[in-house]
Amino acid sequence: MISMIKHDIKIDESFYKIEEVRQLTDETFSLKLPKARFAFKAGQHISLGIHGDYQSREYSIYSGADDENLEVLVKEVENGYFTPKLRKLKAGDLVEIHGPFGKFGMEPHLAETGKFVFIASGTGIAPFRSMVRTYPEIDYTLIHGVRYSKEAYDRNEYAEDRYVLCSSRDQKGTYQGRLTGYLKNCTFAPETHFYLCGNSDMIFDALEILKDKGFERDQIHCEVYF
Amino acid sequence: MRRNVNPENRTVNLNNTKKIAFKTLGCRLNQYETDALVTDFDKAGYQLVGVDESPDVVVVNTCTVTNQSDQKSRTTISQAARANTNAVVVVTGCMANNFKEKLESQDNITFVVENNRKSSILSLVDAHFSGEILHPDQLPQDVFRYEPVQKSLHTRSAVKIQDGCDNFCTFCIIPMVRGRAVSRPVAEVLESVRKTIENGFKEIVITGVNIGRYEAGEAHFEDLLAQILEVPGDFRVRISSLEPDGFGERFVDLFRHPKLMPHLHLCLQSGSDRTLLRMRRMYDVQQFRKTIKLFRSVYPDFNFTTDIIVGFPGETEDEFQETMDAVKEFNFSHVHTFKYSVRRGTRAERLENHVSEKIKTERSAQIRDLSEKNKKQYFASFLGKTEEVLIEKVTQGIANGYGEHYIPVRFKASGAQKNTVRPVILTEIRGAGENMYLFGELND
Ligand SMILES: Cc1cc2nc3c(=O)[nH]c(=O)nc-3n(C[C@H](O)[C@H](O)[C@H](O)COP(=O)(O)OP(=O)(O)OC[C@H]3O[C@@H](n4cnc5c(N)ncnc54)[C@H](O)[C@@H]3O)c2cc1C
Ligand code: SF4
Repeated sequence: MISMIKHDIKIDESFYKIEEVRQLTDETFSLKLPKARFAFKAGQHISLGIHGDYQSREYSIYSGADDENLEVLVKEVENGYFTPKLRKLKAGDLVEIHGPFGKFGMEPHLAETGKFVFIASGTGIAPFRSMVRTYPEIDYTLIHGVRYSKEAYDRNEYAEDRYVLCSSRDQKGTYQGRLTGYLKNCTFAPETHFYLCGNSDMIFDALEILKDKGFERDQIHCEVYF
Repeated sequence: MRRNVNPENRTVNLNNTKKIAFKTLGCRLNQYETDALVTDFDKAGYQLVGVDESPDVVVVNTCTVTNQSDQKSRTTISQAARANTNAVVVVTGCMANNFKEKLESQDNITFVVENNRKSSILSLVDAHFSGEILHPDQLPQDVFRYEPVQKSLHTRSAVKIQDGCDNFCTFCIIPMVRGRAVSRPVAEVLESVRKTIENGFKEIVITGVNIGRYEAGEAHFEDLLAQILEVPGDFRVRISSLEPDGFGERFVDLFRHPKLMPHLHLCLQSGSDRTLLRMRRMYDVQQFRKTIKLFRSVYPDFNFTTDIIVGFPGETEDEFQETMDAVKEFNFSHVHTFKYSVRRGTRAERLENHVSEKIKTERSAQIRDLSEKNKKQYFASFLGKTEEVLIEKVTQGIANGYGEHYIPVRFKASGAQKNTVRPVILTEIRGAGENMYLFGELND
């Protein structure tokens, strides 16, 4: 007899086969997956699991909302639980994805008309790549803080005059030093929308600087990774 | 033989002689869901009894938000099972999601039902008694399937408008056990409110996991609230706990409505911006301050209560002091203080600099002392004033209930009945700590 009770979740919907692992630095890589089977707004994140492992982690979506591939950017954390396992994955392996989640992002009409400053540390650049790919006309400046300039992931995708690289441990950035050092000397239009993404210490310091410059907390949006 | 079961089929079995008992732990949402289950089972002819009255079925609705709640849930399950060895033991709630396999392997538990299938427990139990083999995983998944509460364990009834949360605060297990945020359609909520009032309730509490994030079609939380307040009838509306997520003047204005009670439980969690960021909270102290000021500029005696977590990983003495300052400044009349406890699988589990138990205990005591002072001061501001009190029970001639501001009030009943609203002039603060209340006299 056939069961009449419907199961609402189709399990296979959430599994994606890795198409390519793009190695960006020794520690950082992107996982290129098939096109997302869900609609998302640039800036949102997903939770990613490995088949057979009970843990999962959140990752900002690195690709644009209309891109042919869903992509995430991952940095392997030394002694981390999850990223060393992710690092071992190859094209053809399966990952489980749930989402999209989160409110980090802007409404499409604002993306077309607003003025934006994106502030990222390390892999915190991920949601901004998604925004820039989704809204090609967006008026932005991206301030990216890294230790070494090789961590300027996919730098050539950003217009040169919109991308500011702050590298603290080599001389090859637009600015040499922490991004907060750079930020202190900047001036921004009063109506700017700020988006901050990365570790909480950087976000705290950047928030203080922006508040000191007279910006309201309501015009500053934050996505904390750790 | 395995038979098909139609979970929609909820006929009353007049020959039902089965007895059922409930044990509920945790939040108001869990309490509401138990109340809705009580209504289901009552309609189906089951007799509601205590766990010590030889029930045929015991439902334990668990909580897993802290280690203490895990422990309490475990103890409740084993006590209920031990006292009722022949009973069907159903374990549901957040612990059933978080520790499903472990619970399923326990011999003393008959069924483990996850949150999203909780509303169909009656179908499961009915099937069990009629000899059908039905696994909880076959129950439909619907977090809003609940009937409006009719028979409650309380005088106040909740109405669930939303479930789940995807904020992923770093300390919180709820996104893992309650799933992603979903909102109940406006029409369904309004129908549930109407029925709940028809069922005789004088006060409804709008409930969910993160209700400020309510979003159904075009309707946001404020839109829904405005419509609830316009439902005809003589009832009061309360809002269960809220995340301090960008409320504006429209929300403040809604409190002018006589049905909406002047109290909010706004979860601050910490008074330090650094700690708030490590918690991945979406606001800072200044935004919280703005909300409080906005309310108090319009309603000076508005009651704010809150949750505070002490000893979050990396919380320095200075950061804790900022929390103390905030609790003092915002004059919360009650602070629900939690000592931070690690939840497996949360991001905070992997944060550095965990705080020792000794420091957590000290900090928690400090917050509690301060909270008690605040409460006394707040209660004192009501002496000589009159509050409309909804009577929850009358024992030995003394009526107990809550005033509009959600302050506990007792007074000589002088014939006043349970589930009625009466004006009471407040004359005295009695009791201490958690048991502090205002005593008064009927002022008809
Ligand atoms: C909403 C959200 C989006 C995120 N998006 C991304 C993303 O796009 N790319 C990404 O690489 N990570 C992202 N993260 C972090 C990610 O979820 C994991 O925490 C990270 O991959 C480490 O996992 P792990 O198990 O290896 O480390 P764990 O064993 O969990 O150890 C955690 C420790 O690793 C360090 N750490 C965590 N994330 C990073 C990081 N990105 N760079 C350097 N150090 C880190 C911190 O010290 C943290 O305490 C995001 C987190 C959140 C909450
Ligand atoms: S807002 Fe944060 S604390 Fe509240 S349920 Fe969601 S994740 Fe948990």
